[in-house]
This record gives sequence, structure tokens and C-alpha cells, in this order.
Amino acid sequence: MSRSPARRRAAGAVLGALLATSLVGVTAAALYLRARNAGEQALAEAPARTYARHLAAAMVGSGAGHDQVQEVVQQIRRDGRNVVHASVVVEPRSTKYRFLRKRRYLAHTERSRVRQALDPRRAGDKEIYDLANRVRHKGRIVETRAPQGKPFEVIAAEPVRLGGRHVGMALVVTRPRVIAPGVPAWPLGLGIALVIVLALFAGAFTRQRYLVVMAAVVCFALYARSHLGQLEAFYVTTIENQAAGIGTDVAGRPPALPGWPLMATTAIALAICLLGQIRVGERVAGALRSHHVAYLYLLPAAAGMLVLVFVPFGYGLGLGFFNHAHGSYTYVGLSNFAEILSGGGRPLSHPLNFYFTLGVTVLWTGFNVLLHVVIGLALALVLKDPLLRFKGVYRVLLILPWAVPNYITALIWKGMFHHQYGAVNHVLELFGIEKISWFSHFSTAFAANLVTNTWLGFPFMMVVCLGALQSIPRDVYEAADVDGASRWQAFWDITLPLLRPALFPAIILGTIWTFNMFNIIYLVSAGAPGGSTDILITEAYRWAFERADRYGLAAAYALIILVILLTYTLVTNRMTKATEDTYS
Amino acid sequence: MSANCGSSRLRRSGVKHRNCGSSRLRRSGVKHRNSSASRLLVHLVLITFTGLTLLPVALVVRKAITPGQEFELTLNPIPSRVTLDHFRHVVGASLPDGTWLFGRQLLNSLLAALGTTVLGVFLACTAAYAFSRFRFPGRRFGLLTFLVVQMFPATLLMIPLYIILSRLGLLSNILGLVLVYSTTAIPFCVWMLKGYFDTIPRELEEAALIDGASRLRIFYGIILPLARPAIAVTALFCFMTAWNEYILAATFLGRETSYTLPVLIKSYVGEYGSTQWGSFAAGAIIVSIPVVALFYALQKNLVAGLTAGGVKG
Repeated sequence: MSRSPARRRAAGAVLGALLATSLVGVTAAALYLRARNAGEQALAEAPARTYARHLAAAMVGSGAGHDQVQEVVQQIRRDGRNVVHASVVVEPRSTKYRFLRKRRYLAHTERSRVRQALDPRRAGDKEIYDLANRVRHKGRIVETRAPQGKPFEVIAAEPVRLGGRHVGMALVVTRPRVIAPGVPAWPLGLGIALVIVLALFAGAFTRQRYLVVMAAVVCFALYARSHLGQLEAFYVTTIENQAAGIGTDVAGRPPALPGWPLMATTAIALAICLLGQIRVGERVAGALRSHHVAYLYLLPAAAGMLVLVFVPFGYGLGLGFFNHAHGSYTYVGLSNFAEILSGGGRPLSHPLNFYFTLGVTVLWTGFNVLLHVVIGLALALVLKDPLLRFKGVYRVLLILPWAVPNYITALIWKGMFHHQYGAVNHVLELFGIEKISWFSHFSTAFAANLVTNTWLGFPFMMVVCLGALQSIPRDVYEAADVDGASRWQAFWDITLPLLRPALFPAIILGTIWTFNMFNIIYLVSAGAPGGSTDILITEAYRWAFERADRYGLAAAYALIILVILLTYTLVTNRMTKATEDTYS
Repeated sequence: MSANCGSSRLRRSGVKHRNCGSSRLRRSGVKHRNSSASRLLVHLVLITFTGLTLLPVALVVRKAITPGQEFELTLNPIPSRVTLDHFRHVVGASLPDGTWLFGRQLLNSLLAALGTTVLGVFLACTAAYAFSRFRFPGRRFGLLTFLVVQMFPATLLMIPLYIILSRLGLLSNILGLVLVYSTTAIPFCVWMLKGYFDTIPRELEEAALIDGASRLRIFYGIILPLARPAIAVTALFCFMTAWNEYILAATFLGRETSYTLPVLIKSYVGEYGSTQWGSFAAGAIIVSIPVVALFYALQKNLVAGLTAGGVKG
């Protein structure tokens, strides 16, 4: 790592520029999204809020004459295209409006829902009762909710007061077309902090790089002042217009974020860096010129990897911060990760809790690799004997499971574990054991997966061990024998240490394969019972393709898997290096 | 060093027995000669284990050639009645409009596998040559990237790939699968080929350079012919990757006529008791025979490649 000072300076400048640009970009994009989402939310909630207030006012103003209220409801129904429910709910204990006691719902936009709601046995009635209680205690309620499998709804409830007494509430439920959930502010802070920390550790904040960052921040501040202010003004005026008279069409889009301020900032940042370090471009060009043949050979593969590995990876990285519902994406910050890492509000024993799945995955990987190594090593030790006859035949037959495509293996074993016709249950019956319904309990389903994958995986370990055993010189054993070592001692003190350099990489590889062994889990137990035998990778798959297309959550899962595997590889890599240093 | 360490420990324990060392040696020699009984035991254990290992395969073969779609409840691998109906049923599958479905799906599988082989070998050869013969900025980073990418299967990238392929209009298209398969196969192939290229002496190239050959000429005139065995393994690996892949194909391919064979075979194993085990067994055998044969032909090289790639990591 002996770099020339000029080169180090150049690298520092490029890094500084990149950091400054990303700082500006991330901040601007996040703030813009936040402002826009908040505006959208307010815009979506506005009709319901306005209608509810209007309804309540009508009730108070009219002295709660039945016809007047009915008229207002009809009016709301006429102009509010997205209103699904508008009603007045009167407290039963209100003595003044006796006639309301019997019919708590004065009017409704959907006839069938009136009937439903009037029936106290229906779930909707309890919901409204709870809402009425909350309104009595807390006052006005405006909230957004997304019931399972239904579109978003905005509920606005306005308390109705007569002569200082709470008599009921006006309730309006609308179903706006799109609602952007709010964006939490803390990921933004975290992101900025991260960039700054990175910059500090990278040594990017030295002299002119400081200027670059300062310039970027100033540009951003000016930008935010003008455009975010405009954005806010847009929402305020739209909502005010809408509230001014019922029936105003409020469907409008917020102004788009103009791209030039960001581009200008980036250009300034880059210009400052390049003015300081003109040689950067020269260096890149020089590298390209002097090594152009190498890069040419690398180009096809690099292009392929870029398009089909790195772009999808970057896409997935981005997707992890969005929520996908009904074909549209909403920025949700880190909430996908928060949902996964907090267990999604499910108890630890719930199969969909991340930590449960992680535990199953670790258990699955550990048991499998252990069994692969033990069986593979035992067979290799037996087959190693040079005097053993037919060892070639045994070897060829024993690696058959490795040759069979693994989805076919999985399906074969799924059949073998069939409750009624499966060979495994048949064998059990021969021994007088009752048939087991393999996929209806966690332990047996897990065991079925484990058996399948052990069958599939031991040949690889056996072959690796055989190869490594053959490379151990025989005279080491002879020397040990002369020295009076027992067979056990020879195994423990000679064979195992000498196997380690070959076995370690195989174990690492095997662990990664098993950790991601999608086909076995997906095809043998299919997660049964109730998704409890799912491992992380099948869980991610199910979120994306089998449970309401939650691409964002699945992408976040994939990222977490990547992080786990990368950490594992780095740690074990260091360990292997350590063992290699010790044993070679 | 480990040998030293181990034997020194042994020597320490051996000190106690030094006086009886010779008798021990004799005893162990006797043990070797006198082990026909223990060897028989070893054979028995091995035969049992091999039998257990082969049993699932034997049961599938039996199912494929016996009539009926359900598994029989016997462990005897020799069928009572023999029929080729299942093979006829699987191979003869066609759509109501007369399209030969199995033929289409076989063609899809072959196209995907051969396309992946051609593309994968081409990309891997050029990249491995660059890594093996040139020292350029970014070389170390590139090699490391290929190593890391090798550890993460395409299943993890499935969601973005799904979206990207659907935007490109390559869903339900064999070309899309070929692209995805070759990029998943490349990292391993690059590492394996690079290892092999490294063993080809540079002097050959230098001599050719002096004789006035161009870089390209050296690559396809000298390096590629010399690396033929490694390229054969690479090709096989690519072929097997594509031929055996199930979940990406099942996720990306929408129409029955665009299925590959793995998707077809999975479709015989229904979710709720509608499984056609006979057809499944016949299909599994048809699909497995080529890859198993190829695997046995080149398994030694594959193992060497795998472990070499792993050790270098």
C-alpha cells in the first residue's frame, strides 16, 4: 500500500467529492420526500376532516333535525367521490334527542353498510362504538389505516357538542386514491451522521475538501429554502381551497423537484476537487491507456456482472427502503428493516418472527454441516484403507446423491416422507412403530429436511476428505506407530490437524450452501407446519411472491442475509488464515 | 508445522513406552494381517450404507417402470411388473392444439443450458485470462468481487431480477434465463479457469510474442487449446447450473410452453395428494441421466476446481 502522495491526494479529493455529493443528494431527496409525503397525507385526510366538521356543524346548527342532517349527508354523498361512510352517531344516554337513540345512524352513503352497522352483532358496530368512546375522551380524531387486504382509509370523527355537552360524533370515512405514509426523520439524521463519520475516518475532511462540503451544504440550504417552502405552500393553499367549500376538486400533484440545483451542487463540488487535483482524470485515463488490453478482456464479463448482479443488487438495496402495495412504491425509510429486526410485533415463538427464522436457519445449517462432516469424514477414513477391495466401486456409488439434481432429490424425499405411501413410514412400520405425519410437527418436518439434505450433502465432504487424506504422507503414521501412538491418538493428533487446511474451506463453502439451501426447504417441507421450518431465504421468497407482493420487505430480508453471510465469511476467512499460518 | 507439533506430542507420550516399542510394532503388524474379520465388518457397514444411499434412487427407478401413479409399500427395488407407460406419458405430453409440449420444454431446457454454456464459457475465459495474465489497477478488487458474488445465489437477487427482466420484457423468455444463469455461473468459472491459466507457462506466450503473434492470436491459438480440460469442466458446470435450476425458472416463466424441464417435473408433484409419482419418476430419470453421466465423466476435475477456489478464498 505504498501510494504516492499525489495519488493519495487525488483519491482523497474524489472521495471528498463523492461524500459531499451523496450528502447533498441524500439529504435533499429525503427532505423532499418527507415534505411531499406529509403534504400528501394532509391532502388525503383533508376531505374526510372537512366533511366531518361540516356534518357536525350542520347537526349543531340545525338543532339536530333529522331532515337537515340527512340533507347534508346527501350533499356529501353527491360531491365526495371517495366517501364510503358518513354518519352521525349519537350517544344513547343523550336524553334530549330521544328519537336518535333507536336509530343511531341517521344516514349513510351505502345502504348495505347501514344494515350491517345497525346490526350490533356485526364487527363494524363494535368498531364504531370504540371510536365514539375515543372521541368523547380525546376530541377530534383523524387517522389513516390500512386494513388487511383493503385499500387505505381515512377516518375523521368530529365530536358534536350541544350546550357544552357531548352528544355524539360525526363520522366520515373516505378512501383516497393514494396515501403516502409519513417518513420518519431519524433515518435521515442517521444517514447524515454516517456520511460524516465515514468522511472523517476516510480523511476526506482536509482543507479544500472542507470547502467542498461547506459549499454543498450552503447550496442545499438555499435550495431547501426556495423549493421546500414552495412545496409546503402548495399543500397549504390546496387544502385551504378544498376546505373553503365542499365539492372543490382537490386532486392535484405536488410540484416536481427540479433537478438543476442538485446538479449545480454536484458540479461545484466536483469542480473544486478537480481544480485542486487536475491529475485525477489524467491518472484514470493513463490506467485505461496502459492497461487497455486487460480491460478489454475483462469488459464482457464485467458488463454482464454489472447488469445482472450489481444493478439488481443496487436495486435491491434501494427496494429495501420502499414499501410495495398494489403496484406502487412508497418510501418508508428504515421501517422494513425495523419491522424485520423488531420481529414485526410477533412473539419470539411465532414462525414469522425474524429471530425464530434465524434460529431455525442457524440450527439447520449447524446440524447439516455437522452431519455432512462427520459422515463424510467417517466414510473417507474407512475408504482410505489402501488394502480395502472395491473401494472405487463404493466411492462411485456413494457420490451418486451429489450428481442427482437437488430439486429431484428434494421431491424424491418428499415422496419418501409421505404419510400414507412413504417408504420411511413403511420402514417404521416394519419395526412396529406407528406411522408419523412428518410435516405436521416442527421437529419431524425439520428432521425430514435434515435427512434429505444430509443425503444430498455428505458426498461432497467425503470426496474432499478423501482427497485431503491421500495427501497425508504415510510415513507420518508409521512414525506415530513406532512411537506407540494409539489409533485414536493418531487420528486426533495427526489426521485432524492435517485435514484442517482442506476441511476449513469446504466447511465454509458448505455452510454458505446450506444457509441458502432454498430447494430442499421449499420443496420438502415447504415451511410446514405454518412456516415454522422456513429458513431466511425461503422466508424472503415468500414475502415477495406468496404474501401480498411485499417486495420491499423481501429485499430487506435479502440484504440482512447478505450481511450475515458476509460477516460469517470475513470472520471465518480470518480464522482460516490463522489456521493456515499455524498449520503450514 | 502441525506434523512437528503433533509428533512432538506423540514423542512425549511415546517416551513412556519406548522400551516396549518393538513389541508394539509387532502387535500392530499382527493386527494388520489378522484383520479379515474386521474387514468383513467394514464391508458389511459399507454395503449397508451404500444400500441406504442408493435406496431412494432405486425406488424412483422402480416407480418409473411399474404401472400406477402411487408409490408401492415395499422396499424391494425389483419391480413386480414392468411397463414403459410412464415414459410414454411424460415424453408424449402435448397440448390440445397438437403442440408437442414435452418437445417444447426439452428444447427450452436445452436452449437455456447450451446458451448458458456458450455465454458462460466465453465470458469466463476472457475474464480469467485478464486476471491471470495482466496486472492492472482493480485486479485484486475484481477477483475479490467475483469470490464474494460466488457465495450469494441468484435467489437473493430474485426480486430485483424479476422486476428488471419484466421491464426488459424478458420474463417468460429463455434469453432472460440464459443471462441470469450465466452470470451466476461466471464467478466460479472465472476462479477455476484463472487457476488453470496460471499453470500454463508464460514462456510460451513470450516466445509467440517475439515471433510477432498478436495478443488475440495468443489467446485463441495457444492458451485456449492448452486449457481444453479446464474449459470442458467450465462448460459442464455452466450446463449443469442451467439444466438443474428450478426456482428461478419457476418464478420467471409464466406460460406452460416456455417452461423448462425442472418446472415440468415439479408440476407432477402436486400440493394436495394429486401427485403423479409414476410420471415424476420417469421425468426425473429422463432429466437426471444426462447430468449424472456428465457429472461422473468430470467429477474429479470439478472437485479439484471447487476446493482450489475455496482454498484461495
